[in-house]
Amino acid sequence: MAGISIQNVHKNYGALNVLKEFSLEIADGEFIVLVGPSGCGKSTMLKILAGLEPASGGRIRIGDREVTDLAPGDRDIAMVFQNYALYPHLTVAQNIGFGLKMRSTPKTEIEQRVLAAAKMLGVEHLLDRRPKQLSGGQRQRVALGRAIVREPSAFLMDEPLSNLDAKLRVHTRAEISALHKRIGVTTVYVTHDQIEAMTMANRVVIMRDGVIQQIADPDTLFNKPANLFVAGFIGSPGMNFMRANAEAGMISLFGQRVPVPAAPPGDVIVGIRPEHLALGAGKASFTVKPTLVEGLGSEKYVYFDPGEHALADSLRDEQRGKGLIARLAHVGPVAEGEDLTFSFDPAELHLFDAMTEKAIN
Amino acid sequence: MSGRFFDLARPSRQHWLGYLLLLPAVALVALIIVYPLFVSLDLSFQKVGMATLSAPRKPFTLANYEKLFTSPDFWNACWVTIKLVVVVAVACFAVGLGTALLVNNRFKGRTLARLAVALPWAVPEIIAVVIFAWIFDSSFGLMNWLLVRLGLVDQMINWFSSPTAAFWAVAVTMIWKGYPFVSIMTLAGLQSIPEDFYNAAKVDGASAFQRFRYITIPVLMPVLGVTMVLVVLWVFRDFSIIKTLTDGGPLKSTQTLSIMTYEQAFGFFQMGYAAAIGIVTLILCVIASLALIGRKSQAMY
Amino acid sequence: MKRTPLQSLLLYGGVILVCALLLFPIYWLFVTAISTLSEIRSLPPSFWPADPQWETFAKVAEERPMLLWLWNSTLVAVGSVALSMSVSVLAGYSLSRFSVKGARPLGLFILTAKMLPATLLVIPLFGIFRSVGLIGSLWSLVLAHSTLIIPFTTWMLKGYFDTIPRELEQAAMVDGCSPLGALFRVVLPVATPGLAATSLYAFVLSWADYAYARTFLINAQNSWTANLGITTMKGEYVTDWNEISAAAVFVALPILAIYLFLERYLVGGLTAGAEK
Repeated sequence: MAGISIQNVHKNYGALNVLKEFSLEIADGEFIVLVGPSGCGKSTMLKILAGLEPASGGRIRIGDREVTDLAPGDRDIAMVFQNYALYPHLTVAQNIGFGLKMRSTPKTEIEQRVLAAAKMLGVEHLLDRRPKQLSGGQRQRVALGRAIVREPSAFLMDEPLSNLDAKLRVHTRAEISALHKRIGVTTVYVTHDQIEAMTMANRVVIMRDGVIQQIADPDTLFNKPANLFVAGFIGSPGMNFMRANAEAGMISLFGQRVPVPAAPPGDVIVGIRPEHLALGAGKASFTVKPTLVEGLGSEKYVYFDPGEHALADSLRDEQRGKGLIARLAHVGPVAEGEDLTFSFDPAELHLFDAMTEKAIN
Repeated sequence: MSGRFFDLARPSRQHWLGYLLLLPAVALVALIIVYPLFVSLDLSFQKVGMATLSAPRKPFTLANYEKLFTSPDFWNACWVTIKLVVVVAVACFAVGLGTALLVNNRFKGRTLARLAVALPWAVPEIIAVVIFAWIFDSSFGLMNWLLVRLGLVDQMINWFSSPTAAFWAVAVTMIWKGYPFVSIMTLAGLQSIPEDFYNAAKVDGASAFQRFRYITIPVLMPVLGVTMVLVVLWVFRDFSIIKTLTDGGPLKSTQTLSIMTYEQAFGFFQMGYAAAIGIVTLILCVIASLALIGRKSQAMY
Repeated sequence: MKRTPLQSLLLYGGVILVCALLLFPIYWLFVTAISTLSEIRSLPPSFWPADPQWETFAKVAEERPMLLWLWNSTLVAVGSVALSMSVSVLAGYSLSRFSVKGARPLGLFILTAKMLPATLLVIPLFGIFRSVGLIGSLWSLVLAHSTLIIPFTTWMLKGYFDTIPRELEQAAMVDGCSPLGALFRVVLPVATPGLAATSLYAFVLSWADYAYARTFLINAQNSWTANLGITTMKGEYVTDWNEISAAAVFVALPILAIYLFLERYLVGGLTAGAEK
């Protein structure tokens, strides 16, 4: 059990810089999630932490030991892989006990510890099977068992839930969180899924193109995103972004004048989360015609056109397109093409500088 | 933890292992392929009869190459080689492609048919020679009997005494040995085409011929290209079949470059000259394969 | 897709006809082996002997050192396969996992090595082996066959290792293995089918050689391999076709057996590299 200290780690492949200076202090027992889109450098950072790839610079300490150039097996870490990486030619028991065997642990002790770990994960009845006889969820639990049996200083997890189907993912997510509460080992978890980040982490590190965007706990990330990317990444559906012009501390949004004392004059990007748009009149109201209504039973997503507030092409998220979304819970039928009144609370608005994309407080 | 300098598990040292693992192969190959190749090259520039490596080097001379390019035997060997390559490659393709297409259909016993069709590949070349030397026997061989019975010829052909006939005997033997390779590669290629391609085409109203032309052929092209090169190279270099069936005769009608190289080296003990022929053959092989598949396919290797 | 009865007939008929035609030579070899000399030396040929002479096989094994020849071929094959595989496995693994500087030239070299005519390499190898006294020794063949085998097996093994996910070695390293330990304890056991298939292909390559055997061993009768031995049975003027066919069956059988039982793997190995 130990904290992890990462100081100025960066990684280049020749001229290509895939990971820019990365520094992070992880407290003992913390659950850290590295999240971001593909190619953001999160997996590279994890591999460097594991010793599977050399850093181009920087230092890493686990506990009070400098591990920067130590072999993976010497770092007292355990790792869980996306594809489980179970040894196909060994039984479940041999898989779990492999690390112990490599460290010349006495046979009886191996058996004991393997059984204990298997029990904790509910796979003790599978000990004599081979990986190919197991389901995806079972394999993942065996992989977890292989990790916990060694009682390492830290767990590293590389998108362990990506290969599971949706329901199993939710279930296993809860299991991993419960396991962490129970054992309390420092964990670094990599994923591209922001839901996993939000539900499991003590703190989240959001990355993009090799650069850290923000390090914060989930609530702070949600309520006080540091820049446009973080704001759009966290939350589903993502935050709505609109363009507005600030003059003398005021902007005009859908015909409503809203005070924004902190905003410098000029173009500004305004963000509001879909769940902060309510049906009916309120503090600030406007009327639009919905272009599309998606009903999910418990809630409805209402799409509408931003009109004059549409973002410039360069800033727009291609996947999202031009439309804005309102997320309404427990409302009656909503018709497309008919006038609808929305309201919002100006306090829920997020402001971002149009040039730097950084948040304006 | 001991910080051994040679601990290859350390991140900074991990890539050393890549080089280390290559070492044995590189060393062995250098010893038994690269070094001999250079010796060959060296020999080709000397007037050497029997290669004795401990003897002092003979003076550098281009005589072997001059002799080569002015020798009618050399050009005959080139011609024979090209003839054989073209005939055998084309026939192997026809038979190989045909059998692959046939066996690719769904029917009971398909696996067995696939196995059967490629069986000649597993027959060692010397054995194939035994088989066809007997079939082409001039007195009692099956081929002569068949040809006479079918009325295609008036009298028995003396296959191994007649230059043209001998060429065809060699060609047939090589085709029989060579087509299974084309069959196997084509089948693998055919089976890699997803069913959905054909389904989509059927829905679009394509006929069987159109499906063949616009789906099967384009996807097969790369595989066929590689296969073609390998077959051509095989015919170019073959020694076993021709040597034991006709030994280059009669009258050098089946003497390929490969056979000529060997004859000069171990028949006449003119190893310098033989090495020159061999080097030229190698260069021709390289040119031929580059011409057939182009530089982009080098990535495959 | 339903076929009309006529289409079915044509298909099955075609398949049977084609197979019969293409496999007939093998059948003919076998028939010749058990025919009597008088049957062989007469026309029309009999497609099945009236009195099958199964004893020809035993006779050939007694009169000729058939078993010695087969033994020599086996020794050489085992030796060259062992040598080539030990070197190729390591090299193939390296090419698969590491981006080694010089991998491209190496690839090109492997390509050229496959184009080398044996008749070119046999000349310098003859000179080299003569100077170290290996002519007449089976070791000369072990080395010579390796020149045939290594270009193919390295390429095949690289392709095969490419299909094994790297995470397996990574998991093993995190578990405390050295990189070499990971290779031997985890990757190789998982790669066993590929290793077996490649070894068998190498065996077939070695068994098939004639050029090197003839050049290096012609004067050492006790070292003759099967291919070499058989060619000496072909007489200058007269050949006992039944005996040589019987001997040929002996030589062909091991390879045919390997092929029939492991066609799947052999073919997989052949095609795996080619498609990439």
